[in-house]
Amino acid sequence: MREKIDEEVSVVMYYSARRKVALPHVISWRGVEYDVGEIGYHHKVGDGRTLSHIFELVDKTGSYWFRLKFNTDNLHWTLEVVSDGNAY
Amino acid sequence: MEMPISTSRPEIMYIDLNSCFAMMEQQANPLIRNKPVAVAAYDTPRGMILAASYEAKSQGIKLGLSVAEGRQIDPSLIVMMPDPDKYFDAHDRLKKLLLKYTSEVISKSVDEYVVDFRGSPAIRSGLGLVEIGQQIKADVRDRLGGYVKVNVGWGSNRFLAKLAAGMNKPDGLTVIDADNLREVYGRLELLDLPGINTRYEARLNMCGIYTPLQFLDSPLDTLSRSVFHGINGYYWYLRLRGHEIDVADFGRKSFGHQYALSEKTSDIFELRRLIMKLSEKTGRRLRRQGYSAGGVHLSLTFEDHSYYSKSLKLGELYSTLEIYLAVCGLLARAPLESKVTHLAMNVYGLKKNVGQLNLFSGTKYDLRSIARASDEVNDRYGEFTLTPAIMADMKDVILKRVAFGRVNDE
Repeated sequence: MREKIDEEVSVVMYYSARRKVALPHVISWRGVEYDVGEIGYHHKVGDGRTLSHIFELVDKTGSYWFRLKFNTDNLHWTLEVVSDGNAY
Repeated sequence: MEMPISTSRPEIMYIDLNSCFAMMEQQANPLIRNKPVAVAAYDTPRGMILAASYEAKSQGIKLGLSVAEGRQIDPSLIVMMPDPDKYFDAHDRLKKLLLKYTSEVISKSVDEYVVDFRGSPAIRSGLGLVEIGQQIKADVRDRLGGYVKVNVGWGSNRFLAKLAAGMNKPDGLTVIDADNLREVYGRLELLDLPGINTRYEARLNMCGIYTPLQFLDSPLDTLSRSVFHGINGYYWYLRLRGHEIDVADFGRKSFGHQYALSEKTSDIFELRRLIMKLSEKTGRRLRRQGYSAGGVHLSLTFEDHSYYSKSLKLGELYSTLEIYLAVCGLLARAPLESKVTHLAMNVYGLKKNVGQLNLFSGTKYDLRSIARASDEVNDRYGEFTLTPAIMADMKDVILKRVAFGRVNDE
């Protein structure tokens, strides 16, 4: 089941100076903390002059998939969609 | 003039992302990997499937089926709406990695490239074709993700390279050269050849040609006079033998958009609203690429399967309003006795803008300046921030889509 959420969430981000990558590490949503597992895809989208980073990832237990948006204008994180990987 | 089979080294590569949209969704979401996935225009039962994963394809779920038909085949089919920004990102990443090997990288569509390796550093360094192909596949896994697979085909011309890329899917790496050309043709049917559709097949059959090998062995005279009735016969004669004939890259001739109506209607006000949104999308692309247009075309498909199609040549179209009014002129002549199911419009007769002075510059009749000012606002604050009033409440109507054809707006 895939559900549109569009809620701001708290995110711990981690930057590795060695690998030169900045990635979400922990997501806190509706009182539950999810450790980030595999990041499936990361890309950027522009809306006017606002650039956002889209992270599509699964939690460490492999139960949920999240689509997160990081707005580089205001540095806010939005959880756009959640899925459990099933059709319904 | 008889021509032998080309003995040139097959240094033209064709590369395509397998089931691109579905596979990119599987790459992005590990929970749907190895499951039947379809990307559809809409996730409603009537939405058309645009791409299916290999797991879905193996069950007969393919492009053109509706979501309901797909779910009838496999109720566990995962249906998703397209995410064009992600597919364009993958397209750009693939291009960037190919440019490391040679500058001759030509985009054929959002998921396909032709790469001319002749004289490239990779070839000059003595790497074999299979070795280069494997290296590129590894680069793709590294840059796009471990789940992403590409088909790579090598040939002495684009036709053979594309044919090779279509073989051994989903992770193929195939070389067609003078040594195996006849053996490859011997395994295929006419419809397996890129560019041969059922109509061409019928024409070939009428002249006693039933297999690719018979096609290859047909004399030039037969192809030119009896089958294709003209220069096309000569082109096919060369193409089949591995000689390049498809290098001409045609420039853009039009900009357009189409929309399958989720709610069929014959209400002229609703149709005008849709046309305004399509005009704005078309106008934005036209102006961004620095063109103005000399004509508009409108086509409507009706519920009763009838069809309306009309063009109109005009002086010069630049602003969204000019395009909209011209298309509405065509709409006014359309018989709206049945509900419209599909709407398509485009502008043609493109001319590059050279900054000619406008007689009405600085007045309220200066549509060019208004269009440019409106574009600046939308460039800065996002698409459809500033829109005509007729487009109110249309945010989720006519979404961003990926065209199947060539990606021109680069």
